[in-house]
Amino acid sequence: MKPYQVLIFIACVMAGLATLCVVLPGRIALGATELKWPALTEVLGIQKTPDTIIPVDTIVQLDTLLLPDTITQQDTLIQPEQPLSPAIAKNDSIAPQKEDNCQLSTVNYQLSESDSRIFLRTFYASLSQSGKQVVRVLHYGDSQIEEDRMTQQIREALQNRYGGSGVGLMPLAQTIPSRTVKQQLHMNGRQIQPAQGPRRFIVYGPKRDRRDDGLYGVMGQVAVMNDSLVPGSEKLMAVCTPQDPKNRYTKWQVLADSAIQYSFSRDTVFLSGKGNVYGLSQESDTGLIVDNIPMRGCLGLVFTKMDSAQLADFYREQNVRLIILQFGGNAIPFNETPSTIQGIVRGLRKQVQYLRMLAPEASFLFIGPSDMLTQIDGVWQTYPMVPYMDRLLQQMAQDEQIAYFSLFRWMGGSGSMAKWQETGLAGEDGIHFMRSGARKAGNAVAKWILEGMENE
Amino acid sequence: MDFLQYILAFNSESPLLFTQFYFWAFFALVYALFALIISLPFGKESGLGSPYGKLHLRNVYLMFVSWFFYYKTSGLFLLILAFVTLSDWIIAGRIKSAISNHKPQIAKGLLCLSVIIDLGLLAYFKYAYFFTNMVNDLFGTGFRVFDIFAYIGNGFAEAGRFSVDTIVLPVGISFYIFQVISYTVDVYRGRVQPVKNILDFGFYVSFFPQLVAGPIVRAEEFIPQLYKPFHLSRRVFGIAVFWILNGLAKKIIMSDFLAVNLIDRVFNNPLLFSGFENLFALFAYSLQVYADFSGYTDIAIGLAMLMGFYLPMNFNSPYKSQSPQEFWRRWHMSLGRWLKGYLYIPLGGNRKIGFGTYFWLSLIAFVSAALTNWWWQILVPFALFMLVVAVINTAPFRERWGTDFYKLLYSNLNSFITQVLGGLWHGASWNFIIWGGINGIGMIVEKIWRKMNWHLRFLSITILTFGLMALDYFYGLPVWRLFLVWSAIIWIGTAIRYVYWLITQDMTINCQLSIINSQLSKAWAILQTFTFITFTRLFFRSSSNLDPATANEVAWETARNMVNQIGGAWNNAIIPEFLWAYKSVVAMFVAGMLIHWLPTNWKRRYRLAFSAMPLWLMVIVVCLAIVVIYQFVTAEMQPFIYFQF
Repeated sequence: MKPYQVLIFIACVMAGLATLCVVLPGRIALGATELKWPALTEVLGIQKTPDTIIPVDTIVQLDTLLLPDTITQQDTLIQPEQPLSPAIAKNDSIAPQKEDNCQLSTVNYQLSESDSRIFLRTFYASLSQSGKQVVRVLHYGDSQIEEDRMTQQIREALQNRYGGSGVGLMPLAQTIPSRTVKQQLHMNGRQIQPAQGPRRFIVYGPKRDRRDDGLYGVMGQVAVMNDSLVPGSEKLMAVCTPQDPKNRYTKWQVLADSAIQYSFSRDTVFLSGKGNVYGLSQESDTGLIVDNIPMRGCLGLVFTKMDSAQLADFYREQNVRLIILQFGGNAIPFNETPSTIQGIVRGLRKQVQYLRMLAPEASFLFIGPSDMLTQIDGVWQTYPMVPYMDRLLQQMAQDEQIAYFSLFRWMGGSGSMAKWQETGLAGEDGIHFMRSGARKAGNAVAKWILEGMENE
Repeated sequence: MDFLQYILAFNSESPLLFTQFYFWAFFALVYALFALIISLPFGKESGLGSPYGKLHLRNVYLMFVSWFFYYKTSGLFLLILAFVTLSDWIIAGRIKSAISNHKPQIAKGLLCLSVIIDLGLLAYFKYAYFFTNMVNDLFGTGFRVFDIFAYIGNGFAEAGRFSVDTIVLPVGISFYIFQVISYTVDVYRGRVQPVKNILDFGFYVSFFPQLVAGPIVRAEEFIPQLYKPFHLSRRVFGIAVFWILNGLAKKIIMSDFLAVNLIDRVFNNPLLFSGFENLFALFAYSLQVYADFSGYTDIAIGLAMLMGFYLPMNFNSPYKSQSPQEFWRRWHMSLGRWLKGYLYIPLGGNRKIGFGTYFWLSLIAFVSAALTNWWWQILVPFALFMLVVAVINTAPFRERWGTDFYKLLYSNLNSFITQVLGGLWHGASWNFIIWGGINGIGMIVEKIWRKMNWHLRFLSITILTFGLMALDYFYGLPVWRLFLVWSAIIWIGTAIRYVYWLITQDMTINCQLSIINSQLSKAWAILQTFTFITFTRLFFRSSSNLDPATANEVAWETARNMVNQIGGAWNNAIIPEFLWAYKSVVAMFVAGMLIHWLPTNWKRRYRLAFSAMPLWLMVIVVCLAIVVIYQFVTAEMQPFIYFQF
């Protein structure tokens, strides 16, 4: 073939495709499926594919928090895609996501009435007791806090300032490894995998892993030693090695039924007997203890399924003074309408009320979902419901008088996750932080809490 | 002006990719001028004051087009490409002169100089972080990389224009460096004549279809084409179009879809997924990496064909391989041939071992000891092994043990080195070295296995399986569990074939049974090889696309977490749930593997049928195919699904 014939062939193909662009731009229904084809302007780059990724700097200025009372009026009127008016005043002091450490700002200011950290006052007051006794902080969350992500930074910041050591609670069988404490499990003299250990029941797990009596313990999961369904006797040895030397050889605490016998040797716990083990804890006698309690795939609607007396006892006896709830992200991919999001936020409100009833001495902090991306028409975009859920959660927090940290807005708002991905702070799923991103976010939350204390 | 700048200027965020409209518009324009040059009314021997006439003009034109392509992709790194082009062209010319003047030592010295310059540049850009980290780990120092080129660049441009704290890897440097080395070595060996005109040589180095990701074209394969007039038969044209479509489909339908919807998520955060999901993602990655890489080279081959050039075949259905050795003859063939020609053979091949073999083995042992911090555990056995090799490599032993044994020994040692260095070529991370090492060991084990009789095979796999059972029982680590399961599967296959062999060795078996046995054995070997290669990919994928400063740590942790999940957190209960939720990904994987395993004849037939279509029909088919492919470009990502433990 002559080159000009090849050229004519290429031209014909391009002309054919261009004709399709003119005749069939957009989406064409083809029976049950839908074909997509771009318009000519889109191909030529004259009209770019709608790209919701807005530069972070713009968003930080634009997407400031709503005044709570404004939200009350607008709640049901807010459309997910509706941009916020810059006129809606800034009222919170969540800083743009620049810092990557927990250095406090040297600028002092009084917490205004509209700053939600005002609801942490009881917790701030309790910190004065940290020299004499344990002050406990529980951080419940979804997969965003797995492996001790974010919690680790909050723990380090609080312990550095108010004393205390130890990594806090961990399950008997650590099915998901932690960044801060490595665990080896031995049963009847040989090393086993966590899944080979005692039968586990998980409140946030599938139906087959749940139990009727609600006795899941404070971590929402329980290991049943010598369960009647599992033949043979189980003698367990858990070797738990904190990665930070300062956390080693702290006091052990075993949360278990009285029928469970246990003993300790430095970083090892020996357990035998028959009954429930709700968790192990390495902690100091005084100071701040911050527990990481990840609940993979959980919407955060499970607390009301947990035995109230058991939780209340723990919260009281262990002097739990702050409960951090970090949920909402798992609702996003599967709920595409405002009404379903509203339903989930209503459910979360009930959980907060339930927990507050059980832990009347504790303050509450709700951390909303991060920005989350999905690919629509080949373009990574923020799930439309993320900003909406963030606003509803903030409203719920305001109504319930608990503190609220908008991770979404702190990151930079819609599309900021794409920036995080570019800089290696977030994973390619557009949902989870990488370790560096989690460290950054954890530091930001810690700093936010501590600055609230400084300026309280 | 903005539009012109967008079209012409370098933008790191919009390189010229084969999957973008911009590239195809670029190619159409390039081809229009190319067609004009080819159609010029003067022949090879006349015109434009050049000895090659329009062929020279064509080469020069394509070189500048290729440079523009590279500039759009890599910006000022074009200067590196220009530098190695100039350097190797000059040195190769001097080498030829030295050889003609009977000065072999000078020629050898010049060759060494050229290789040092080329590999030095490659090492600088690709391995600076790797070596810095290694030195810091070994000596407790705190060195950081410093980009001397950025520093020099800042001297010319405004201060701070280029960051000196990071070293960015120029796109395609691993490929074109290997090409220029092959040229200089081939000139030294007398296999090609030096290219007289530097612009012709520049065209060979930078030909845009294969510049950034291969195939690696050896000088002796391509240089002669510089002087051949354009010729494109009707059938070859059809095949070229087919390769381009095939490549686009592989890349977009298969590779990107699998990556976005499953693989990236799992490798990003293996702990979020169960063992089965991790395993599935690992197998899917095997398909993805093939579809991605071979898709790219299919397009490159098709584009080159349209311009009348022939690039070497780079993939030959690699997952049909029945052994790791065969796999490496079918996978990234241009690299395999390069490594064989310029590393394995110079090391001695299966003929000898010499200083090079001892040197590289010692270096690998030293690096492994440094990596694991198991100094005496690795170096003492290694020293003993080397001693044994040195002793048995003496004349008395050689006479006694015969040529076959030594061929196997030399070939194994040299191919192991080739595999490890081939691994390192892929990237500067321990994981790539481990990946290469595992491939090398796999090849050795397979060769030894084939030399064993059935009694020995059965005995050895039985011992291995029991050993792994003991390790799993006493230590319970996921990695032992993983090996145990795999070993048990191999044991079952071996046991069946062993029994078959025991029964049939003294009897005449009918032909049909023999064919069934042979086909089953073939399928079994393909499956085992595919599984082996897939597990090596655990280290390959974990190391890809990482920030070099943290590559080692992240890659190792990803690989470890995946092994832990596969060997520990299996969770059968969620398998049906997963298969249903990810049905499109699963279907894509199954379809991809089935297409891959189609008999070669079938593939050849449909390729030929496509190429024989009338042109008007081909236009319609191409348009329809692009519409289908586009559906996958814009496919909505499946929602992220959690599977709880």
